[in-house]
Amino acid sequence: MHLYKTIKSFLFDKDYFIDVWAKCIHVFGFIDIGVLEEKEILLIFENFKLKISGFDFRVLKLTKNEILIEGELESMSVIR
Amino acid sequence: MKDYILWIESEEKYRNRLLLKCFKSKIPVLETKTEGKNFYLKIYEKDYAKIKKFWFVKIRKSGVTGVLLWKEKIKLHRVFLLAILLGLILLYFLSHIMVSVEVIHSNKEIRDLVRLTLKEKGLKENTWRKSYQEIEKIKEEVLSEYPDKLEWLEIEVHGMNYVVRIEERKIEEKEEPKTSCNVIATKDAIVKEMVFDKGESVVKINDSVKKGDLLISGTIKKDNEIKDIVCASGKVYGEVWYQITASVPLEYTEKTRTGKKRWNLRWQNLYFDDFIFRSRLKTYEEEKKEILNLLNQHLYFVTQYETKEEKKFLSEEEAKNKAIEEAINKLNSTLEEKEHIIEQKVLKNEVNNSTMNVEVFVVVLESIGETQEFQENQIE
Repeated sequence: MHLYKTIKSFLFDKDYFIDVWAKCIHVFGFIDIGVLEEKEILLIFENFKLKISGFDFRVLKLTKNEILIEGELESMSVIR
Repeated sequence: MKDYILWIESEEKYRNRLLLKCFKSKIPVLETKTEGKNFYLKIYEKDYAKIKKFWFVKIRKSGVTGVLLWKEKIKLHRVFLLAILLGLILLYFLSHIMVSVEVIHSNKEIRDLVRLTLKEKGLKENTWRKSYQEIEKIKEEVLSEYPDKLEWLEIEVHGMNYVVRIEERKIEEKEEPKTSCNVIATKDAIVKEMVFDKGESVVKINDSVKKGDLLISGTIKKDNEIKDIVCASGKVYGEVWYQITASVPLEYTEKTRTGKKRWNLRWQNLYFDDFIFRSRLKTYEEEKKEILNLLNQHLYFVTQYETKEEKKFLSEEEAKNKAIEEAINKLNSTLEEKEHIIEQKVLKNEVNNSTMNVEVFVVVLESIGETQEFQENQIE
């Protein structure tokens, strides 16, 4: 397992990333969810919070540090 | 351990709250979908117990996928699958068990011999079916064991039975032709017909002969000199007189069907033979039809017809005629082709202890000649 973690951290050394597509938003690396509503989602990272605004937000997948959201994105802001 | 995946169903209104709760409880949500007012979550089966505890939401286990789906299906239809499995096992078992060995031949001695030999070689009832090669081997062994008795042998498999067909080997013993023989009378009679191929006739038509008298001689004489000795052969028919007695009781019991009938089942095997249901009729005649024959267990459908016994009486004339008929039939059964009754006459008829006793005098035309060998030194 140690070897696996070492290789993973070498190849994939990002703490987080945020991908935005036409209808989907993919976020990795958050530690908590502050708000989960149809018009707003607040994801808490280690050093900041990510506020996603829009409408018809639907969570397609959700794991402990990864989320895939479907919906119409209007704005995205980082709160420090 | 492999994680199985299942879908759970909830209501759309609890969607976000449920997702948040899943996140807090560290339950990975693999997929979500909404259908009408229902909201579906795809999760690992191991998390189902956790999610079930959420008090604010009603959750129904909606369906499983993958291996678990098959596991669930097997569990659901386990009785049906088990029945099929047992059925297949039973079918395989029944199609490979042989319950009888039927040896077909008119000679009982040969039948018993073959049956015993086959039994020694393992081809017997209630055993596992032999393969084609094994049967062929047994056939060859039996034939080679009795080359002087068996000409040909075939073992067929008919369902759960072996059918053994045999052809007996017949070694013809050539009979040495008799060189010197006479035809003599077997009964006291009056000669009526005589046909002969060889020999010299000693009696004429209408001659009266006694048992043992010479009818056709094998010694051919001319002028009291023996010309030739042959084996006399021919047929001599004579008029033979018989006095036959027959008795018929004047009172007899006749069994008639009342028209009432009942159905029953009869179970029969080597150790048991009885009706399954109690018979309600006191006296009956039965007709049975086999409906099951399995592993030497026979089940019959039986129709029982109620009967009643009636005492009937014959008039003296009827009894007399019946007695004569019985006497004539008895005699007729002993006659061969060309032999027949010439005349019959009732000598005496009397009733004694409610029984009609009849004495009949019968004249029969029958064969009276028999070939008998003699030595040449016996010639007078």
